[in-house]
Amino acid sequence: MLPYEELFSWWAATITTGIMFLIVVSSAIYYYRKRPASTKTDAPKVIRELAFVWALMALLILYLVSINLGSYLLFAAGNIVVEALLLIYVYIKR
Amino acid sequence: MKEQTTNDDRFWTLSETEILQELKTTTTGLPEDEAHIRLEKHGYNELPREKLSWLQILIRQFMNPIYLILLASSVVAYFFGEFEQSIAIVSMIFLSAVLGFYNEYKAEKIVAALTERVSLKALVTRGGKTYDLSARELVPGDIVSVYIGDVIPADMRLIEAKDLQVDEATLTGESFPVDKISASLKLDHPTPQQITNHLFMGTVINHGSGKGVVTKTGKQTQFGAISWSLTRPHPPTDFQKGLTSYGNMILTFTVALAVGIFALNMLVGKPMIDALLFSLAIAIGLVPELMPAIVTICLSQGAGRMAEKQVIVKRLVSIEDFGTMDVLCTDKTGTLTEGKIILREYPSLRDVEDDRILTYGMLCNSAILNDKIIGNPMDVAIWDYALKAGKNELAKPYKRIDDVPFDYKRRLMSVVVENGGRTLLITKGAPESFTDKCALAEMNGEKLPFEQVKGEIKEKLTRYSGAGYRVLVIAYREIDKRPNYTPADETGLTMLGFLVFTDPPKEDANKAIARLKEMGVDVKILTGDNELVAKKICEDIDIQCRRIVTGSELMAMKPEELSQVVNETTVFARVTPDQKLAVIKALKANGKVVGYLGDGVNDAPSLYEADVGISVESGVDVAKEAADIVLLDKDLMVLANGIIEGRKIFDNTLKYILMGTSSNFGNMFSAAAASVFLPFLPMLPMQILFMNLLYDTANMTLPTDNVDDEYVMKPKKWDMNFVRKYTLFFGPFSSLYDFLTYGIMLFIFAASPSLFQSGWFVESFATEILVIFVIRTRKTPFYKSRPGKWLTVLTLSCLAIGVIVPFTPLGEFLGFTPLPPTYWLLLVLMVVTYLLLVDAGKVFFYKVCGYNW
Repeated sequence: MLPYEELFSWWAATITTGIMFLIVVSSAIYYYRKRPASTKTDAPKVIRELAFVWALMALLILYLVSINLGSYLLFAAGNIVVEALLLIYVYIKR
Repeated sequence: MKEQTTNDDRFWTLSETEILQELKTTTTGLPEDEAHIRLEKHGYNELPREKLSWLQILIRQFMNPIYLILLASSVVAYFFGEFEQSIAIVSMIFLSAVLGFYNEYKAEKIVAALTERVSLKALVTRGGKTYDLSARELVPGDIVSVYIGDVIPADMRLIEAKDLQVDEATLTGESFPVDKISASLKLDHPTPQQITNHLFMGTVINHGSGKGVVTKTGKQTQFGAISWSLTRPHPPTDFQKGLTSYGNMILTFTVALAVGIFALNMLVGKPMIDALLFSLAIAIGLVPELMPAIVTICLSQGAGRMAEKQVIVKRLVSIEDFGTMDVLCTDKTGTLTEGKIILREYPSLRDVEDDRILTYGMLCNSAILNDKIIGNPMDVAIWDYALKAGKNELAKPYKRIDDVPFDYKRRLMSVVVENGGRTLLITKGAPESFTDKCALAEMNGEKLPFEQVKGEIKEKLTRYSGAGYRVLVIAYREIDKRPNYTPADETGLTMLGFLVFTDPPKEDANKAIARLKEMGVDVKILTGDNELVAKKICEDIDIQCRRIVTGSELMAMKPEELSQVVNETTVFARVTPDQKLAVIKALKANGKVVGYLGDGVNDAPSLYEADVGISVESGVDVAKEAADIVLLDKDLMVLANGIIEGRKIFDNTLKYILMGTSSNFGNMFSAAAASVFLPFLPMLPMQILFMNLLYDTANMTLPTDNVDDEYVMKPKKWDMNFVRKYTLFFGPFSSLYDFLTYGIMLFIFAASPSLFQSGWFVESFATEILVIFVIRTRKTPFYKSRPGKWLTVLTLSCLAIGVIVPFTPLGEFLGFTPLPPTYWLLLVLMVVTYLLLVDAGKVFFYKVCGYNW
């Protein structure tokens, strides 16, 4: 049983709102981006360019699950994977 | 566009008699009693001064939202018992206010310098008597006589002019002296340069003498209008406007968040006093209390570095605008050019340099040679050239017998010289005056009938004037020796060649202009000179001239037309100080950050109005006083160095703002959210203030940070929209990791309030302080962009203090508890993920989405 269990739903709602807010803002700034948009729809490109948003979603799931389980080992391992993914993203995009 | 007051009265259209009638005076002057009545009516002939009390100037310094927020914070800090913080905030405000106070006092000094220049005596005729009178007592209708070397005491309409030439360079920017006449002029919308039957206050008689009737005194004069324009408060720079708008944004956020937190805490049943103190602590946490200090340190250090490069910064706040400047308007004379007329060449009619032309130019010359050569600038230029070229000896064999002085009607002067038994009449003057004086023209040693080669000569002259040169013709003839000579002897001459004059561009001007272009600064020329001269300078210094607009054309323009024209025009020729000002205002209204480089009295209003007023050391005092920046070195390349320095300072100030608005906002937002659902405060007010203190200490070294090279290659403007987007995007990252820490502390470590607060303090501080290294550059931190040495040392030191403090007695005093070892492992992982996430966010924001400042 989680300590402070009565607060978990509050906490989960808060962190989910935080990440969702970030995803919405990221999508909005991508939509209104200053770079000239491609004339044809290029779905895979959009998916690639929004990899950052997918990383955020992965983080949300990782944090919710690992903390719900109270497992700092899962938390640590998940973080290391996300760090590796972010490094690859930065390397490719930069 | 509206022109100056002079144009309203159209005095230049009236004859000498009519102007006297109009001003109800006569050639014997005003009766003394009438003069006194007029003095009471018009006031003293002195420049206007609207004095602000020192208290008014001081109070004005605090009318800035950031200062108001800071003052409120210092009061709150005082009531929290944070006396040191309260005093520190007040000291920072005081320091910045003193700086602003000093700057505004400068305006007073400018007017004093103008006033000093015109505290003169005038030779006035009143009631038939002529005597010296203090110039401040002159009234419209007074008759004043002027002679060579006199500074004109008021605006006057000439009623007599004898060979009168006036140097109006400081007022109009015209390099060459202007011939003055007393006859009426039929002009509809003349610029002051075209009103040749007027003398303007503050200009200097270069040649001849004259008598005029005073038309305008004091602030009604052209000179007075300039002075008046400098008495108004200095317009805020683009950077100041940006800071104000940033302050307003912070104020809105802070008030909204503090009120919201207080209301929510009350709603969930927290004690009122706790809710109040916590919401106020959050408000303090949001306030960028270091802003004035960061800005002041950035600016002072920048000013010091610029001084080493011979650039003196008089108004600190202008440095940042120096960096963001994207349009540089410049006067021509004395800034792009040497401001001194030189003899460029002396070609014969067949374009071959002929020493006889130079020799005759030296002989037919009114300059006086003492320790220094004085006289008409063109006569001085001839002697300067000859002395430098070692050709002054050429004139020695000649003995001067007589001369026929210059007068305006002939626009010629002649001398009679003797050499080896030959007597020669040499005549020098304006080309158009020789039309009926020459019978022959000497070409390759052969004398041809003048009529035969007239067309060819005219073509050459057109070419010279088209290239912006001023030309004098040299002609001669043999003449009998006799006791005296008259203008009637100036006939049957043989034209020998030309003396070609120019005001040359500064040696490094083209390099400096090219460098400015590279740096994204568009250069525009605003000059009192004519369009041909201005076009020539553009060619000489490689400015691509897109369009030339004259003062007369500007005058006929509507504001909306002007707004468009200023963007597409490179050269504004024959423009008055008012028109220069209007161009600068229009460019500013179009969103440009405008610099103005000038050195004359006529430049003072523009220097004052521009975001960055730049003058040169050789400029007149008034221009230097009105300027924000003075270049001590004649080398214009120092301009580019100054701009780079300004851009570095802008970037370092921006780093503070972006960090403050992202990590600070994020932290405070998460604290606010936590306060609502947690059964205890997520961080004690005292802990928030301690974190702020450590964070601010690290930030104090930001002014010394390195700036990426490519950042300084383009001008950056204040962009609040960018700040908002940046805050909205990067702010939530730090909130996210705060929420995560809450989860870890609550659900993994089952933390007590004190442990929770300690854990969050360390995470919040570590992420807040380390993100400096990520946000300070758009490149890969450390690898592609190294932070400044002091920033690194102090940031890491403050981080060490923040990490250690929970284990110390100070930590105990602040309410912290030592953290378990497992937490440190998770903390490292969280901080690394956070920093990588922000770095990835940067790539997404700048590279993928293309947002840029």
